[in-house]
Amino acid sequence: MDVAIVGGGPAGQAAALQLAAAGIAATVIDEQPRAGGQILRQPPSAVAVRDWLAGRSYRALKAQLAAFEDCNAVTWRGGTSVIGLSMNEDGAGLTLADGSGVERLHARHVLVAAGCHDLAVPMPGWTLPGVQPAGAVQAMLKSQQMLPEGATLFAGTHPLQLIVAAQLVRAGATVAGVHFAQPLRRFATWLSPAAAIARSADLADALAALATLRRARVPVRFGSAISAIEGAMRVERAIVDGVPIACDQVALCYGFVPQSALPRMAGATMRAAGPAGGFATVADDWMASSVPGLWVAGETTGVQGAPAAACEGAIAGIGIAQTMRAFDLREAERRAAPFRAAYVQHRTFAAVLDRIADPRDHFPPIAPDTIVCRCEAVPRAALAGGSANAVKLASRCGMGLCQGRNCEPTLLRLLGAPDGPGFTARFPARPVALGMLAGD
Amino acid sequence: MERADVAIIGGGLIGCAAAWRLAQRGARVVLLEAGEHNAGASGQNAGSLHFQLERRFLEQGEALAEQAARIATLNVLAVADWRAIECELGADLHVSMAGGLMVAETREEVALLEAKAAREAAAGLAVRLIDGDAARALAPYLAKSVIAACHLTDEGHADPRALTPALAAAARAAGAAIREGCRVEAIKTPAPGRFVLRTAAGGVTAAQLLIAAGAWSASVAAMANIHLPMVPVALQMNATERIAPAIPHLIQHVGRRLSLKQAHAGNVLIGGGWPARMAVRSDGGFDLARRPALSETSLAGNLRAAIDVVPMLARLNLIRTWTGTTAITADQLPIVGPVPRLPGLWVAGGGSAFTLGLTFARLIANAMGGERVRELDLFGPARFDHLNSFMGAA
Ligand SMILES: Cc1cc2nc3c(=O)[nH]c(=O)nc-3n(C[C@H](O)[C@H](O)[C@H](O)COP(=O)(O)OP(=O)(O)OC[C@H]3O[C@@H](n4cnc5c(N)ncnc54)[C@H](O)[C@@H]3O)c2cc1C
Ligand SMILES: Cc1cc2nc3c(=O)[nH]c(=O)nc-3n(C[C@H](O)[C@H](O)[C@H](O)COP(=O)(O)OP(=O)(O)OC[C@H]3O[C@@H](n4cnc5c(N)ncnc54)[C@H](O)[C@@H]3O)c2cc1C
Repeated sequence: MDVAIVGGGPAGQAAALQLAAAGIAATVIDEQPRAGGQILRQPPSAVAVRDWLAGRSYRALKAQLAAFEDCNAVTWRGGTSVIGLSMNEDGAGLTLADGSGVERLHARHVLVAAGCHDLAVPMPGWTLPGVQPAGAVQAMLKSQQMLPEGATLFAGTHPLQLIVAAQLVRAGATVAGVHFAQPLRRFATWLSPAAAIARSADLADALAALATLRRARVPVRFGSAISAIEGAMRVERAIVDGVPIACDQVALCYGFVPQSALPRMAGATMRAAGPAGGFATVADDWMASSVPGLWVAGETTGVQGAPAAACEGAIAGIGIAQTMRAFDLREAERRAAPFRAAYVQHRTFAAVLDRIADPRDHFPPIAPDTIVCRCEAVPRAALAGGSANAVKLASRCGMGLCQGRNCEPTLLRLLGAPDGPGFTARFPARPVALGMLAGD
Repeated sequence: MERADVAIIGGGLIGCAAAWRLAQRGARVVLLEAGEHNAGASGQNAGSLHFQLERRFLEQGEALAEQAARIATLNVLAVADWRAIECELGADLHVSMAGGLMVAETREEVALLEAKAAREAAAGLAVRLIDGDAARALAPYLAKSVIAACHLTDEGHADPRALTPALAAAARAAGAAIREGCRVEAIKTPAPGRFVLRTAAGGVTAAQLLIAAGAWSASVAAMANIHLPMVPVALQMNATERIAPAIPHLIQHVGRRLSLKQAHAGNVLIGGGWPARMAVRSDGGFDLARRPALSETSLAGNLRAAIDVVPMLARLNLIRTWTGTTAITADQLPIVGPVPRLPGLWVAGGGSAFTLGLTFARLIANAMGGERVRELDLFGPARFDHLNSFMGAA
């Protein structure tokens, strides 16, 4: 096989389409059954959803998704996780797992476009049933039209919570409030001409979301910080600015961190991803990582939003095609030019968003008995030692099912070394049954 | 320049245990560790306490098996050391000595078990050979394919995450200095019985020097112009998700690479000597600074063996595979004792030093304190002195 792409989100789709345009077939592997990625999380084909993602900012992405799904040069491997990646002289060895078994795949080039995930933010009570990342609430809504029961309170620093809260309201759910820990003036940069022009669609969506929330009389507060979540068996109230607010769900939204397991496993050079923490894969102008044959695009290289992810994916696709001699460098530059131009704009906006959403001064306090590593139930008080790996060994923090994906940014912050080094990445990227690995 | 009676290079199990024992004897001890203590093999191993002769000793023919069987005398001592250690350190090391079974699935393997049990009996290990049904009566989770097993009631496992930190704490409490982030970069021997060590953080001078640098020991010995036939090997380990207590024993296989046990936290740890692949430097040597690469062949083979012996494992999820580097020696036996060519220089390492490290450290501390320790006669570096005919304080 020539090209394998991990991730069927905007970045992976764009790469596959550029490769197809160059006459190169690609296999796209995604653990979701259908293509779309985080932003266009599709409902299962059996579920009919009216007005699925009607917002203006989704239009171009939906067009790309339609082209991708119609593309004959793409082999779609949905419902399949890539659990291992190793690189050698002749390319990539991928280990795939689906419901029925484990399979090894070899590809000359592999593009990791695995997206990002919500930053987990510990605070007293955050492990109670009913507390979720805002992204998970949104994913349930997008893919299943499932609404949380009762009233949902949103808290954090990332503007995405406005969008998700409004989506809930439009779908008929109750929102108890949207609380931004940072002051309103931090949002002023959003209204700067440069940012507004760069991403008017997003701004329009945000303003529409605000209007929706206002009409539904949902309080939207700034400089209003959550500090704890309480309840006997599940969420009953959130403590915001020291005052209890009754609610049944809490959706937390402090930002996103790149999926980094596979590039780290393959030994790629990483860098600190940004204010929310995590690690981004370092890439050159053509989205090649430091390891020959391993390419990266989209949120894997840093969280910049869907349109930027699509641009990076397209550039990666063109870069891979050029390396495979589909055309010369001049033709590659010609094809990449519009994506490079658009990318500059999206980046400007992403930088503005990063500044607005910067959670670093607004993380809730973590008490000694607050759980930091949820998988292994490790409280803050148990975290002692030098490096992240040493703390992991001594305390089991990061030794659980999620491979430390969720606790790593918090642990590094608590160690006073937010830029790492983090945990050594270990196989498998997702848990997988022993029997499958043994070839049963 | 810091002065000490004894300098120790390496903050693994052996180095920390030796520091503790030597400090208890009243020596001024400085231990230098390049990174963080327990970051080497001592924190990465499987935690097996295997006192039966290891499969690797049996698979290289009669002569080597005969020679390697001498290790059984140390195994007997190690049983006692492990029974005492939690009490001595006042620490919970999750030591579990609920017994171990080394299983056989074929006639040839049963013959290996028989020969092995005879050797062990001669050395004083109370190993019992039982048939498959008797094994399943003890361990109902074993597969029907198991037709015999050697049972040793002392075997079990302990927590590698806990042992070395507890030893380091005890060493410090007894007065030893343990310096982390202090890589030894040079060893000078200006006079007999004087060693000068250089680190980026300053120098240490000592009358005796113990090399306990695990897989790095040969490179460290080279700094003192000594050949040490210890070679690094990379191994692979697997951990399942946590489950309720189900497997109280240490399970090993006499004919296949397999060791498994359920750790205190509930995860089943599966290993047994399956190799990972060490990185190689551009000039051809092994690069111990880089993490060994996982072998998918080893992974599949190891899990196959585990499931064949304990079928219920097939349903559990693998959550982590890791690789680590440890040291073995030219003749499989550990190297523990004085280097004849350089008086004052000592070495301890090689082999299964989670099981045996406490014993190595206790014995070598006695020897370094001037006692005559007969138990070490067979294991000293003297047996490789021919390699150092052209080396030493030249
Ligand atoms: C919950 C959530 C909501 C978001 N909402 C917005 C928004 O409203 N606007 C915006 O601009 N950005 C949003 N983002 C950021 C968003 O992820 C991106 O902008 C966009 O989807 C990035 O595209 P991508 O192709 O890089 O990654 P994704 O769209 O995330 O696609 C990555 C794909 O890779 C798959 N994958 C990951 N790892 C593996 C693996 N090991 N094996 C197999 N498949 C794998 C995933 O299933 C996923 O489908 C959101 C992110 C999250 C997490
Ligand atoms: C995957 C795996 C599984 C294993 N399973 C078992 C088992 O089940 N049972 C068993 O008995 N044994 C097992 N072993 C073997 C056992 O772990 C080792 O024999 C034992 O831990 C060795 O301890 P050590 O102190 O000699 O070495 P290490 O723990 O490796 O310590 C050596 C230390 O020396 C330091 N060092 C190196 N160079 C320098 C320098 N120049 N200056 C300063 N410091 C330096 C290193 O940083 C390191 O911390 C296993 C090993 C591995 C890798």
